[in-house]
Amino acid sequence: MKNTNNKTPAPQTPAQPAQLPQGFSTETLKTVAVIAVLVLAFTNWDAVVAIMVNVMIFIYGIVGHNFGLAIILFTILIRVVTWPLNAQQMKGAAAMQEMQNDKEWQAIQKKYAKDKEKLAQEQMRVYREKGINPFGSCLPTLIQFPILFALIPSITYAIGSTPLSLLKLSRSLYAFQDAASLIPLNSKFLWMDLGLPERTLLLGISIPVLALIVGLTTFVQTKLTMPPAADPNDQAAATSKMMGIYMPVMLFFFSLNYASGLAVYFITSNLLAIAQYAMMGKVNWRNLLPGGQKK
Amino acid sequence: MRKKILFVTIMLLAAVLLSGCVGSTTWPGLSAANEVAYLANTSAVHAIDVTSGKELWSFVGEKSGGLAIFGGSPKLFVTTPVVTTDGLVIIVSSGNDHAMFAVDPNDIADPQKPTPSIAWKFTDAKGHWIAAPLVVGDRLFAPNSDGKIYVLDLQDGKSVKQAIKVIEPFSESKEQAGRLWAQPVTDGTYIFVTSLDHSVFAIDLETYKIVWHEDLGGAVPGSMVLGSDGMLYVGSLAKQLEKFDPATGKHEPVLDTNGWIWGTPIAAGDNIYFSDVDGYFYSYNTKTSSLNWEPVQPDSAITASPLVYNDGALLVTESGNVYFVDGTGDVKLWHGAPEKGKAYTTPVSAGGYVLVSYIEADYYLVALDDEGDQKWTFPAGK
Repeated sequence: MKNTNNKTPAPQTPAQPAQLPQGFSTETLKTVAVIAVLVLAFTNWDAVVAIMVNVMIFIYGIVGHNFGLAIILFTILIRVVTWPLNAQQMKGAAAMQEMQNDKEWQAIQKKYAKDKEKLAQEQMRVYREKGINPFGSCLPTLIQFPILFALIPSITYAIGSTPLSLLKLSRSLYAFQDAASLIPLNSKFLWMDLGLPERTLLLGISIPVLALIVGLTTFVQTKLTMPPAADPNDQAAATSKMMGIYMPVMLFFFSLNYASGLAVYFITSNLLAIAQYAMMGKVNWRNLLPGGQKK
Repeated sequence: MRKKILFVTIMLLAAVLLSGCVGSTTWPGLSAANEVAYLANTSAVHAIDVTSGKELWSFVGEKSGGLAIFGGSPKLFVTTPVVTTDGLVIIVSSGNDHAMFAVDPNDIADPQKPTPSIAWKFTDAKGHWIAAPLVVGDRLFAPNSDGKIYVLDLQDGKSVKQAIKVIEPFSESKEQAGRLWAQPVTDGTYIFVTSLDHSVFAIDLETYKIVWHEDLGGAVPGSMVLGSDGMLYVGSLAKQLEKFDPATGKHEPVLDTNGWIWGTPIAAGDNIYFSDVDGYFYSYNTKTSSLNWEPVQPDSAITASPLVYNDGALLVTESGNVYFVDGTGDVKLWHGAPEKGKAYTTPVSAGGYVLVSYIEADYYLVALDDEGDQKWTFPAGK
């Protein structure tokens, strides 16, 4: 499907090749492909969810009916599949960051601080010169949204902790799955019931251990993968800083109230993201230290 | 500052979107007694006067100690409320609080905002409540998703036998403790319980011992029904209707179906009426051990049990349509679906009306007269 879209001609590309930066047509096609994939995903939502449910249940059958393990392996699979996208995102983010640290760009910013229009023109020129696609870091993120949005109902249906979710599961299963023997799925994993929000009784107090781990790993992942800012007061740095606060808080509250199977996904995904960044040498350990970002 | 506000707004929207991905929880529970309908509709249980459609009271549980978002005790009312002979209404929360309440509709403190007082509360279960409890004399048999049946004294809600845990259900399966989703039935000697772990079992009412248990090869979300031949009938996700000897548990499949059997079969004379999620409706004759006629398929999936009505049965399909199937298998649309909404809950008959509940519709409940015409909706004016 993606290949078909890649062949879609971008009408203006051949007409004005001289004015376009090198590789612009490829990037345009990538953008079109990403948008096409997003449209396809959102218009065939049930099919996307069904694919995910079936893959997860297939893995569940292979790993000896352990749904916790199935979620972990499925998350790894998703990470592997989206590896090129993540790598491109990192590359794009790094290029943008490099540009923020670029002396020429800083001088331009200073020069045209009061002329927004001129600044925008200059920005586009610098992008062209440096071969940066301004959407290079956000398009791969965009394409991962349907995956994340589909994962949540997939896990919820697969666990089937309410009659409606079990009914939806029945509709998602492909004919090759032996539904009668597989259902209900074994939702026990370690000390948890993956269909329920997790609470652990410690010294008589009910503590949401998993939600706390989700918050912590999200915080660490956001911090570690945040590139060092040249100017901590610039817009990108401020946004990154806010992400570092709001994302962990948001996912903590989310994990607090929903099936712990989702929390298992978030934790695994965070750890894998850290691992991927580390493998690509992009982890910024200094960010974990107080004031580390300023260095 | 404006950018910060925008960012926070986007994050909040993302949180709402993520939450929305989980979708609607499940369908409502509906029962009726003494011309009062009881509708457990996610956030509250409503008691509705069947003749007028007016709300008599509503129950939303106790005030939470903290914000629900902090995971304190979010409540979810979807299980069919049960009315005891003493007039108490047993309400269970399917939320994370795992609470069961006995409320007294005769004790309403504030007439401006009528809500019944709580006679007792039971919170020792470890799993969600999905099944409605069964009242047997002065005891309450309450199956839970934690795989246990709690036997409580109706007077005070205390466990009848050995403090909290009373009966361990059949849990030979290594995978499941046995989620119990259906209301048990009794023949006065045993109670018969079905489980999602594929098993069906009989428990002695006096000794609380498991008398027999059998594997059906598929999850059993519905309950059993006692046929006119003295046998128990039950359907499962193994796409089979099974017949059980209540005394011994000896069983045999009597019919293969097209889809999963979700709802509890219903006995009407010598007939057993039941449906499947592929949308087929069956009428099985226990005397001839055969179908009365070829299964009919009105439109969409059927999870609700049929309602015996005028020598036939009323069927509620997922699309929201209500059909009447007569004794010969002739199907007629009895009441059209609302503009939007789906129906999964078993309809009930009360006060001369048939009550049908919906999800995702403009109203939760509709009362239909004997022609299938709408008399009132709850909330009114829709």
